[in-house]
Amino acid sequence: MENKRRLFTLITPPSVFLLFFFLIPLVIMALYTMKSSSFGPLFPLSFEAFTSFFSNPAYFVLLLSSSQLALLTAILSILLAYPVSYYLVFYTGSRRVILLTLLILPAWISYLLRVLAWKVILGSEGLLNQLLISAGLIENGAPILLFSQAAVLITLVYVWIPFAALPIFAAMERIDPRLHEAAADLGAPPSVTFWRVTFPLTMPGVASAFFFVFIPTLGEWVTPNLVGGVSGIMYGNLIQDQFGRALNWPLGALMSMVLLVLVGVFSYVFNRFIPITEVPVSS
Amino acid sequence: MLNKTKNFALLLLAAAMLAACGGGAAAPNTQLVVLEWSGYEEPSYWEPFALQHPEIEPEYSFFGEDAEAFSKAQSGFAFDVVHPCGSWWGLYVEAGLVMPLDTSRLSNFDELFPELTQHGVFNGQQYFIPWDWAYESITVRTDLVDEVPDSWADLWDPQYAGKVAIFDSGESTFLTAAYALGYDPYNTTPEQQEEIKQHLIALKPNLLTYWVDYTEINQLLASGDVAVGANTWNDAWATLNDEGYEVEYVNPIEGRISYACGFGISANSTNVDLAYDYINALIDAQSNANMANDFYYGAANMNSVPLLDPNLVEVFEYDDPAVLAQSNFQHPLTQEQREMMTTIWNEVKAQQ
Repeated sequence: MENKRRLFTLITPPSVFLLFFFLIPLVIMALYTMKSSSFGPLFPLSFEAFTSFFSNPAYFVLLLSSSQLALLTAILSILLAYPVSYYLVFYTGSRRVILLTLLILPAWISYLLRVLAWKVILGSEGLLNQLLISAGLIENGAPILLFSQAAVLITLVYVWIPFAALPIFAAMERIDPRLHEAAADLGAPPSVTFWRVTFPLTMPGVASAFFFVFIPTLGEWVTPNLVGGVSGIMYGNLIQDQFGRALNWPLGALMSMVLLVLVGVFSYVFNRFIPITEVPVSS
Repeated sequence: MLNKTKNFALLLLAAAMLAACGGGAAAPNTQLVVLEWSGYEEPSYWEPFALQHPEIEPEYSFFGEDAEAFSKAQSGFAFDVVHPCGSWWGLYVEAGLVMPLDTSRLSNFDELFPELTQHGVFNGQQYFIPWDWAYESITVRTDLVDEVPDSWADLWDPQYAGKVAIFDSGESTFLTAAYALGYDPYNTTPEQQEEIKQHLIALKPNLLTYWVDYTEINQLLASGDVAVGANTWNDAWATLNDEGYEVEYVNPIEGRISYACGFGISANSTNVDLAYDYINALIDAQSNANMANDFYYGAANMNSVPLLDPNLVEVFEYDDPAVLAQSNFQHPLTQEQREMMTTIWNEVKAQQ
């Protein structure tokens, strides 16, 4: 009884906060999808936003390409973060905390500044182009990477690597070194030990890293806005447009809801196929 | 008794809410709240007002684009004076956000170009007072192209592949495509609208990016990433020209697009007298010229023209009222027209 009361006291403030600043706004947003205009009354309900959204395949194509981009960003971030974490945990000994801090250090700088830095690197008078020109690989200063989907991908992967590395690092750190010793004792070569022992044990970290990167990237709009140009546009840019210049809040609300549902579906699917909870964790 | 207490409580609540909103309009004639583009708060643009009311310090609430100002006004933000651009004026009137004006209370009103003031008239009444006007046309880095475009239709020319940036606006891109196709953008059939959409999709191979604000397009043109800046304002040409770049501000055969922005008074303003005095100070010949010279824009006041930079007057023909009549002046849009144009632009942008 005492425990229950304590739990209740602890859980009430965050619940109230979430209720007022998350759940209720979310419901309001959901109701906006059925409004006939951004400012008018809710009733009579209108399904105009639904008709214009679902009758237009371009929105789905963009949602699909944005999902692909987010998926690719998540996979590349993990592929790059994994060896780094592996090295930090198993080969750097006591220096690993310092090295991990160094890895995360760029994330302390404003997100916007880091994205703009890539604009400087990828632009026609940017570092990359200057390098290619001085190496005689390209002739003039045409920006070959800026304003493309590739620019968005490069920037996003760069931004997300530290966030992918953290959960993988944590998962690796939890591995009991005796498991490696046992594997060696039983005659397993290092590669077998990695694939049969280390890798499965780091899967929960990999899965969290995946969600850390995939979900925010799917709704991303700042990065494509700055470096994406015409071809690098993402679904999030169109949502932002609806609430800004286009002044079509019902459609913007509907597009956000569709994204929310999609993230829910993705999470469910991934949870099913990456059985995070079933992976044995060392005691 | 209970009822009275309840009413009193409600009154208190209402007072508290008003106080919380910080609406300057709550106390009459002591404050002036101006919903304004950032950069126009400069005191030299309304000096006569400061002399007339030295005790009043206008309070500014800034916006970065018209849609933002309109949604702020629509959401109940208390303001006295607002400064939207012409194509939005109709929406303010339609939504009942601004009041009809008594132009006899503006002693400088008769000095304004009638070609401009007529756009602020709705249902036979003057609702908006024009102040600044400018063009939307094509700024070209002549050193980066073989041929300078001479029409809106030239934007589609494959020789500019990957060198064009266009203003990220449903309205502007719709007008551009309509003029390029030879249609009247304010009177299109659904078939023509579909054609305009397809035409804008066909422009994509020529586009490097969409530009959102003038500093962005000025930088893109200066760096040479973009050679053809579509729907750019006068300042793009003027800024780059000042910095010594080889630029031309095209006069397309279909005509430049032009627009004016101006001031209206909130229908709920409790500081109407101050609002009139403020607007009158803005449209004073010298104040209007101060603003126009800073932003390279045209001034609505005819007597401002001799006070403008002569070089700009020549390039932009600010002294010729016929220009105002001839160029494609942006009309006020209805809610339906704006929605149609932005929907088309969304669909164009979404198209991969």
